[in-house]
Amino acid sequence: MAKAITSSSTAEYFAKNLQQVGFSSPLKAVLTTLKEAVDNSLDACEENSILPEISVEVRKIGQGSGKSADLVEIIVEDNGPGLDPEDLPKVYGEYLASSKFGRGQATRGQQGIGISAAVTWAQLTNASGVLVTSKTSRMRKAFHGSIDVDIKQNKGVIKTKEMIDWDRPHGVRVEFRIDGRIQLNGDGGILTYLEGTTLVNPHLKLSYKLGDADWVKIARVSDVVPEVPPSTLPHPHTMKLGEFITHAGIFGKTEFGKFLKTGFSRVNDVTLKDLTKNGLPKAMLAQPVGKMNEAQFKQAFQVIGKTELQSPSTRSVLTVGEEAMAKSILRLGDVDFFSVVTRKPKICDFKPVVVEVALARFLNRGGEDQSIQLLRFANRVPLQFDKSACAITNAVESVNWRSYGLQQSKDSLPNGPYVFAVSIVSPFIKFKNASKETIDASDELVEEIRRALMQAGQKLSRHIRRENKEADLERKLSHIESFGPILVEGLMRISGAKEGRRIKAQEGLKKLLGRDTKDAQKELSEADVRLNALRERQEKAGMFFTSSSRNEKAMEASTDEVLETENEGRNDDDADSGESRGTGKSAQGTAKGTTAKVVETKGITKGTEKAATTGKAASEATAKSTGKTTGKIAGKTTDKAARK
Amino acid sequence: MDKIIRIRKLTKDIPKEVRMMCDSMLEELERANRPVLEAVKCSLDNAFYNQKVGYLTPGDKRVRTELNVSSVQKMARVVFMLEIILQNLESGAVNTKRELYYMSKGKIKRDKALKALDFAAQDESDSIIDFIGDMLEVYREELNCFANDRGGQTYSQQLVVTETLPDGTKAVVDLSTLGTTPFQPKNKPQALTLKAKKKIDFCLVVESEGTAGTLVANGITRRNNCIVLGAQGVPSNGVRGWCKLIQEQLHVPMFFFGDLDAYTMQNIYRTLKAGSAASLIRNADFSAPEVHFLGVLPEDVKKYDLDCYNVNEKDAAEGRSLKKAKDALQNDPFFHDKKNKRLASILDWLIKNKLRCEQQAFFAVDPKDPLATEKIILDKIKTGSYI
Repeated sequence: MAKAITSSSTAEYFAKNLQQVGFSSPLKAVLTTLKEAVDNSLDACEENSILPEISVEVRKIGQGSGKSADLVEIIVEDNGPGLDPEDLPKVYGEYLASSKFGRGQATRGQQGIGISAAVTWAQLTNASGVLVTSKTSRMRKAFHGSIDVDIKQNKGVIKTKEMIDWDRPHGVRVEFRIDGRIQLNGDGGILTYLEGTTLVNPHLKLSYKLGDADWVKIARVSDVVPEVPPSTLPHPHTMKLGEFITHAGIFGKTEFGKFLKTGFSRVNDVTLKDLTKNGLPKAMLAQPVGKMNEAQFKQAFQVIGKTELQSPSTRSVLTVGEEAMAKSILRLGDVDFFSVVTRKPKICDFKPVVVEVALARFLNRGGEDQSIQLLRFANRVPLQFDKSACAITNAVESVNWRSYGLQQSKDSLPNGPYVFAVSIVSPFIKFKNASKETIDASDELVEEIRRALMQAGQKLSRHIRRENKEADLERKLSHIESFGPILVEGLMRISGAKEGRRIKAQEGLKKLLGRDTKDAQKELSEADVRLNALRERQEKAGMFFTSSSRNEKAMEASTDEVLETENEGRNDDDADSGESRGTGKSAQGTAKGTTAKVVETKGITKGTEKAATTGKAASEATAKSTGKTTGKIAGKTTDKAARK
Repeated sequence: MDKIIRIRKLTKDIPKEVRMMCDSMLEELERANRPVLEAVKCSLDNAFYNQKVGYLTPGDKRVRTELNVSSVQKMARVVFMLEIILQNLESGAVNTKRELYYMSKGKIKRDKALKALDFAAQDESDSIIDFIGDMLEVYREELNCFANDRGGQTYSQQLVVTETLPDGTKAVVDLSTLGTTPFQPKNKPQALTLKAKKKIDFCLVVESEGTAGTLVANGITRRNNCIVLGAQGVPSNGVRGWCKLIQEQLHVPMFFFGDLDAYTMQNIYRTLKAGSAASLIRNADFSAPEVHFLGVLPEDVKKYDLDCYNVNEKDAAEGRSLKKAKDALQNDPFFHDKKNKRLASILDWLIKNKLRCEQQAFFAVDPKDPLATEKIILDKIKTGSYI
């Protein structure tokens, strides 16, 4: 006899398959829990135009229930609008209860799975859900209680509850105690996550305490809360037949033609005419959607598939913006120089997408022989696992970085003390799995990322080339000293020349090679003059680092720390000449145009507090590194002058 | 030390030319002018296939090195190496390139002032030696720098070789008296004189040294009036010069028996027949333009049902060789010449079909008969089944 067929709740499914949503190991469990909590906080703040202030605490508090796991406490607190107590069970205890599901908005959270999964993990490993403190501006006292997931019913349950005094006007604080393991650095590290989040959220003020270390505070570098663009209707070409029929189900008695116009983007009367031209029966357009059968839906779907439609609107994507990214990247450490590119929104696979890239060389991270650190972002959320199959990784590996002066083995990530940050924002990002760690590598998307990377690479290569020029000059100078006398001696011996000719030949040689050196030095000085002029222009325009803003934000590291701000795409859009026309407009800082800026700076440290303690060291480092360009050359010149 | 036997009649007095060149460089320096070194450009883009002579000859392109901060290192190294070579030329000493590399290191070790010239690896000193040869337009051997004697092991019952030794005495070697031992031509075969005791019908150059040995062991040289020699892969200067000598002095038909693949066609056979782009100035004495390609030919594959292999493009060596073959079809003047149209079409066929058939595949035709391959070779020569 066949066994009875039973049905399970969504919560039951996820409770058994938590590995699918990022809880496949103790290490991932900690990171995913932290990530979900921070994402929720950031989304809530942005939706309510609040500048986010988030504090994070992660520490080991004991032995976990599992064999090789610790008991880890994760606390995330925000200054968001807070949640009404009646919403809390839904938010934390019910799967697929989301205000964002299927809205077509470029928000971090999309489905309403992540935080409920974290609560389930806490329940499964520590027998208690999440401890929440929440207060809205309308509440006098804050809700403080623990919430569990009722796995059988897929519902949130408030286990304990009390109203307490909380010295915050509004906000949410969540405390998880879970089985996990803390890893700070590396691809799956908490620090890497926090750095990534900092980078793509310039408006975020973050403080964190990891383990026994002291609190680290990172100031915001932008006072503008990004406006999440309104949701967009789906484009018919992005749907499968089943989705199409389900979507139609909502429209009931609506005529099919009207359904197409109101239920989708880019469908209008002209489109309907095109559809009838391509074989869609006119009568079908007037038919109520609810009365159509599957064969009719299929026929309509096939006609739509072969009809050319206008690409979807790109207004639904938002960007971090080059200016904000430029400031934000300085929060990651001592940046030598960097280049930022925000591409014009594009349609890839019928979905609006915007790609942003920041490439930075650091003075204090990685080494020349180590692979670069690649930070991947999808809708401003760092992706930290399953790197190899990701569209972003594929795109980075496909670029020939050697032509921009970086070391790279074939089809690999380049080497060097660089951080490559690539951000994809789209209301419809296609992930390879439910844990949203890998972006599906479609050819169109990879190509779009490639172009952004190449533009940024071109900017970067200017700096590298200039460095090479310096090195070249040094090499030339040392060549004169090393080889000149040997050459003359050799010629003297072979030709059996008389002694008197030696001095004359040496003088002639010095003259000749000195001329070359002077030319090279002149080139370098001209480049310096151009650089200074550009810097002055930037300072005057206050584009990036006016002296006052630098003092406030870049932590008084040094007065000459900002060496260069070289902006605008100009003629550097070689990677995509079709895009270069948009450059001029975008210079005004809109999200639409393609702009590219390269900023070189030295000795800027991370975080106000950190800077306060390391200010002196940074200052010295700056002095050293700035002196490098001119110091060595000046030294040589002086030596040479002395010899003369 | 005894005087070296010269490869060709050279009107140049190399030491004298070197001294004059250095003197004029010194003069330029005294006037604060930039001395210039010029050499023949030895690369495919300066190679021309001259149908009349049958080998690759250099065009007008020159490599010009003018003294500046970037080239001062190269120039100093050229002068340094010239001094070592000059010393050899005057004393009559000979060396290989590797020995010259170590000699230069020895000199540098003894004189700290020269430290900057030190070669990090042999390829650096090799390129300087090659440049000197191209600059003076002389063979490396004329600079007393000889390569290792690789390949060319020769068997014949009819061939008698007379070598003129540096002291003027003559050494006569009758190859029929050597038993199973092959005669190994030296890296300056031009110092040899050849004579046939009896009319020699053909000379067979076999790509594989092993297969050459098998054919001889099975008695090919006993049953036929012939010369058999093994090329041992890409023919060395010694092998190329030796084949040229056989061709010029004995006027016997010469055949190359090797694999049917892009590498053999483009690297081994073309180098034997027309020389190489890297040695443009020496191809006249180091190529045998009259050698025919006996096989394996595409028609042999069909006729004898020979086993073939697919070229694995993913294999680094095979992929590279296929790419080189494509380049050769596009850029190599040898394959562009109408005289070599059939060879070019075979190369094209190989690239398109991505196949290779080894010379040893003939041993599958009749495994019971040890003479089967010899018979096929003789039949191919008789019926004119060659290119």
